[in-house]
Amino acid sequence: MPHSLTAARLFFITLMACGGGGVLNGQPAATSFEASPIIRKPATDGKVWGGLIFASPKGKGTGVAKGDLPAGLRDLPVRLGKVFQFAHFELLGQHTQDVFREYESWVVPSKDLFLKVDSKGKAGGGGINLHLQFWQEQQVLVKTDAVLREGSPLFISGPKWRDGQLIFVLMLTMPED
Amino acid sequence: MKTPPDENQLVRYLDDEMDLAEKNTFEASLAADAELRAEIESMSRLGAVLRSAMPDGRDVPHPDFFNSQIQVRLAEEKQAHVREFHAPAQVGGWLGWMRTPWFAAAATAVIAVVAFGFWQDRHSAPTGLSVVLSTYAPNPSVHAHSFHSGEAQATVLMLDGLASVPPDRQIVGQQVHHSDMDRQVATTPLFSDEGRVLLVRAVDGRNQPRLLEHTR
Repeated sequence: MPHSLTAARLFFITLMACGGGGVLNGQPAATSFEASPIIRKPATDGKVWGGLIFASPKGKGTGVAKGDLPAGLRDLPVRLGKVFQFAHFELLGQHTQDVFREYESWVVPSKDLFLKVDSKGKAGGGGINLHLQFWQEQQVLVKTDAVLREGSPLFISGPKWRDGQLIFVLMLTMPED
Repeated sequence: MKTPPDENQLVRYLDDEMDLAEKNTFEASLAADAELRAEIESMSRLGAVLRSAMPDGRDVPHPDFFNSQIQVRLAEEKQAHVREFHAPAQVGGWLGWMRTPWFAAAATAVIAVVAFGFWQDRHSAPTGLSVVLSTYAPNPSVHAHSFHSGEAQATVLMLDGLASVPPDRQIVGQQVHHSDMDRQVATTPLFSDEGRVLLVRAVDGRNQPRLLEHTR
């Protein structure tokens, strides 16, 4: 993990150095860095799974393979079909993420549609109080306060695309501490 | 001795709320009583001044967000009431506070809140399900609403009015295993399950998120 963090930091700082701090498509430059200090893992309130689904009337691919889905959500296509009137559901991307207690967390199954997650602490009766921001590139589509509970996914209807629709699924996957 | 009209009558006359018979009677009194006429004129002038000085209403900025925050506050207050109701009374004081004059009203209110909470739970989201407490869509053409689907065993947040993604646009998914917050440079690298950096989330000059692809 320290190796990965160093690579990420190197990548980011190189980009910033080449792009003037805001331009994002610069060429990497030769730069040397010290090794990352050991970073203590921040406290978390739980773990979430986020998936970006493309729902369409008839799909070309195999759809969502059960093995791709977290436990408790193997029947996701059936459940989505109860809400969204489409026959085919394709998992475009997914992201399992710790929900940090003191820092924002990002659930990014795609660059195009992603979620900012701020924990507001454990919820009475189980689950986590969350403030969510649903982003489409640089535009926030909706801000919401929600209680996310284990086994009860949140379906967020996204924009229409081609002959179908994009759907974001968020689920609490791990019992809290 | 003359019976002076009460203030309520004056107000009802000025607001044109009297029926015809009542108005005729009142105007007969008015014709015969200079003091009453002066009172009516004074109140009428005061009303005109107040109306000219105060606008009828003022638009609330971001009304959807305003309303959603009110809902959040109501939900928090409901929870606070419930906690207060269930909180153990202080030793030695439990009989005392039951005798206070506000106890009956407060108990009634708490019981109503709890009953409403039970009713709401039975009619919206059963316990153990995810719940959307409030929503705010910055784009006024987007309407957000939520519901619980029993069939899907899911909570659904519907966003109506979103602009479609152009059909020629490629939506590329990622298989992100996890991410970490790098507090030193305020970025979030996103890793694959092999520990490879897929994306790096940063912010631009307007504090908007930017997702940078990691190519090497």
